[in-house]
Amino acid sequence: MNNQDFIRQSEGLDSKSRYTQSIWRTIHTDPPLLVGIIVLCGLGLLVLFSASGGDVPVVRRQGLTMLGGLVVMFIVAQFNVYFFRQWAPTLYAAGIGLLGLVLVVGVEANGAKSWLDLPGLPIFQPSELMKFVVPMLMAWYLASRPLPPRFKHLFWSAVLILVPAALIIIQNDTGTAIMVTMSGIFVVLLAGIRWRIVIAGFIALLLASPAWFIFLAQEHQKNRILTFFNPYRDPTGAGYNIIQSQIAIGSGGIYGKGWGEGAQSHLDFIPESNTDFILAVLAEEFGLLGVLFLISMYLFVLVRGCYIAYAANDMFSRLLAGSITLTFFSYVFVNMAMVSGLLPVIGLPLPLMSRGGTSVVTLFIGFGLLMSIQTHGHSRRI
Amino acid sequence: MAGKWQLKDHEAERALFSRRLAVAGVFVLLLFAALIIKLINLQVSQYEYFSARSDGNRLHSQYVPPARGLIFDNRGQLLADNQPIFNLTIVREQVGDLEETLDYLDTLIDLSDDEREQFNNRLRRNRVPFTSVPLRYVLSEVDKSKIAVNSFKLPGIAIEPQFVRQYPFADLAAHSVGYVSEINRAELESFDEQERENYGGTNHIGKTGIERTYEDLLHGRVGYEIVEKNNRGQVMRRLDRTDPIAGKNISLYLDSQLQIVAEEALGGFRGAVVAIDPNTGGILAMVSKPGFDPNLFVTGISTKNYSVLVTDEINTPLFDRSTNPYPPGSTVKPFLGLGGLQHGLVDYEFTIEDPGYFRLPGVSYRWGDYTLRTAIGGGHGHTNLQKAIYQSCDTFFYDLGNRMGIDTMHSFMSQFGFGENFAVDINYARTGVLPSRDWKRETRGEPWYPGDTINSSIGQGYMWATPLQLATAASIIANKGKVVQPRMLKAIDGEPYLPDIRDPVSDVLVNDPDYWRYIEESMSMVVHRAYNDVFREYGTAYEAIAMKDREMPYKMAGKSGSAQVVGISQEILQSEDIQVSDPNKDHALFISYAPAENPNIKPQIAIAVFVENGEHGSSVAGPIAKSITDAYLLDILQIDFAALDSAGEELIALVDE
Repeated sequence: MNNQDFIRQSEGLDSKSRYTQSIWRTIHTDPPLLVGIIVLCGLGLLVLFSASGGDVPVVRRQGLTMLGGLVVMFIVAQFNVYFFRQWAPTLYAAGIGLLGLVLVVGVEANGAKSWLDLPGLPIFQPSELMKFVVPMLMAWYLASRPLPPRFKHLFWSAVLILVPAALIIIQNDTGTAIMVTMSGIFVVLLAGIRWRIVIAGFIALLLASPAWFIFLAQEHQKNRILTFFNPYRDPTGAGYNIIQSQIAIGSGGIYGKGWGEGAQSHLDFIPESNTDFILAVLAEEFGLLGVLFLISMYLFVLVRGCYIAYAANDMFSRLLAGSITLTFFSYVFVNMAMVSGLLPVIGLPLPLMSRGGTSVVTLFIGFGLLMSIQTHGHSRRI
Repeated sequence: MAGKWQLKDHEAERALFSRRLAVAGVFVLLLFAALIIKLINLQVSQYEYFSARSDGNRLHSQYVPPARGLIFDNRGQLLADNQPIFNLTIVREQVGDLEETLDYLDTLIDLSDDEREQFNNRLRRNRVPFTSVPLRYVLSEVDKSKIAVNSFKLPGIAIEPQFVRQYPFADLAAHSVGYVSEINRAELESFDEQERENYGGTNHIGKTGIERTYEDLLHGRVGYEIVEKNNRGQVMRRLDRTDPIAGKNISLYLDSQLQIVAEEALGGFRGAVVAIDPNTGGILAMVSKPGFDPNLFVTGISTKNYSVLVTDEINTPLFDRSTNPYPPGSTVKPFLGLGGLQHGLVDYEFTIEDPGYFRLPGVSYRWGDYTLRTAIGGGHGHTNLQKAIYQSCDTFFYDLGNRMGIDTMHSFMSQFGFGENFAVDINYARTGVLPSRDWKRETRGEPWYPGDTINSSIGQGYMWATPLQLATAASIIANKGKVVQPRMLKAIDGEPYLPDIRDPVSDVLVNDPDYWRYIEESMSMVVHRAYNDVFREYGTAYEAIAMKDREMPYKMAGKSGSAQVVGISQEILQSEDIQVSDPNKDHALFISYAPAENPNIKPQIAIAVFVENGEHGSSVAGPIAKSITDAYLLDILQIDFAALDSAGEELIALVDE
């Protein structure tokens, strides 16, 4: 396509829309994505208010965290995406270094020794950073090589993904390790890895899973899987969470019991109702319609993310945007599937809905990268 | 450089990426579709089911126990009250690991092994799921706050208020009022469906005495409420309620003031007192000593306290002496005497020459006169029925009994309630034994021997009667044959109670009503006939009663009795100077009624006193009956006998004019 033609076409557009578009461009913000995020945040605070039993300080803190996230997103978006491409290997090396440091001087919380408390910095989890550093590095690595990737590139890709994943597993944070691995694998999948390799890998995984279950899985992991197949094997223990959350969702019906009227959540039958199981509260109070609205809002953000990936004008941006979008989807789907009983219970929050700090910041860094890709990439092209 | 980049076809790679993104998009949509199907399944297809489950989680129908009716005495004093306490309760279904929870509670409030065992027993009973089971009654303030602070760690554990029985007088009338205690398994199993429902919220049931007899009246009807509970079993809201119907308040004939007097009059003795108003049959006092504190049983008596009560073989505090039988001894003599008159075996003139013993024709064995065994020997000499009663002459009654025969004796004596339970509402009272040929054949497999009749005619041998029966029999003489069956319950919720007696007992009829006067006179002589110069011509209880109170404003009819506990032959007792250990001493008995021989006022109180190992009926049991009678006639009824007498004279004067 001829650049001159494009400019000519653009000038032919309505002058007002061109004007507004350029304003958003200037501040490097993507309006549809922003709208989607803000609607989701608003819905999240609304549900959290009810789930926490009207605990205003909790809601205020979550609101402030979200505002902080928006600021971080805005700052990240100001950087040109090529800056990240240029610095990807350095960030990756630094990330690995920090993960190594965690093993030595890490602080433990909630059973995972994954926190770093360095002087002069707020306490943070290096493993969270790896959620976007790993896809960034993979995008950098594969974008400069012929696609679909050759076998040797795939081998090095695997090494680059598995090294940080292994370090995170050593920290005893399997959930994060899986998500980091997934974010890297998404890049490889989008880069056009041949289907037969994908299918072979999938079959290998299927064959290996019984062995994992028998020899490697820890007791609580086995329990979760057995509970998934039959929650009523221990209805007051391991199965309690999923049974109660299904009761909450099911009793919500089509229209829900109304905001603040969820008996299951207000009488404390739903465990973790503020965090991992917040979908049960929403489903109980707003019914199927409420959940469908939530899904459509997520879908809206996902479609926008995919569009940004599709429209990006270089392979690094495409792969990075695609991986971020699909990782976001993974969170949404895994959480919703686990709460409704489609998947075993895995401790993952529901993005923008669950109460929590670090994961929110990671999420907004991801959105910031998407906006950077959308706004910088095109302006450079024009 | 160009060679290297030649391999990279940007358009093809972009197309490849776009295809992959499209595939990913399809996956996203498929997975969301699966999720939506799952949600529709939960929220639409299974909505009814989960809705019910949700309600089942939070809505609980629970019983509201009715308030137990109160028990008052005849002057409105509370004998049994209800008092609020706080219980620590557990809903088993809401507790994960019970042992772990109990261990944790132990660190907070020190659970004893006893408490744990009792709790496990309560759990094992048939009970409705999701109801709370008490772990500890009467939680102290300190323990209450310890539980409250840690309640978030204790799902299914709650502090519940409850009203429980309290007996303000503690051991006063403990046997006759009875006590409530926890319902046991056997009681639960004996309930029918309806009763089980009615006791759904009730932990206690009447176990003895009035509490048991009038359980149906006192309990009331259970109520229901639907409440919303949270995950920890705490009640958040009440949604619906059917109020319980409280049990009825009942009033007894029992007079707490007289009861106190009777218990004090017994002093340190073991024994029993029963006092009856002959006009109403109302039981004014019913004592069994030693008593016990019934409050101990209400909230679960500790094993230690209980073993103290049951292992005391001599005092046996839980044993109700007022309704259990003992040999009545000489107290049966007035009744037998009346029987002799009625059947023409004796008349007012009939006398015997008493040598101090009785011998059956052709039998060498001598039945000695027990009343003389510690005296100087010899007999009563010239003795008629009156003297035989006031001097308690055994020989006279041996002869009378022998001539009467056991069949006549049995049928006559049974009219006074011997061998039967005349009480309207003391169904647990024993019937004692009024021996007969049939009775002996059935229980002993032996024929009746003439010697058995001899023993029976002085209230020994096979004859056994309870203090309640003796007081009842005394009240029948006081009423000149009219039987007013003894009863405890006077009023229900203030309304006088008239029992529906299924098979009323017929009155005692005699050929000549003067027999009653004669017997009353004879019994009055037991108390009032003074010493004179004639040997053995005074009443057996004169020294202990009338001689001590020469100003006695009324006359009392009485009869003493002593009952042998063990068969120690009187030869040994008389010849050898042996010490009879306390539990082997004779039981002392006394029956009485008053005022007697008063034309202006009918008898107001009939009493039976039983003193276990009290030795002497007249000197030990007699004064006890006297002081109870004094208290009732003079202090409680406040009868002014002097005024009555003058009023009576005026009346007579008036009639004469």
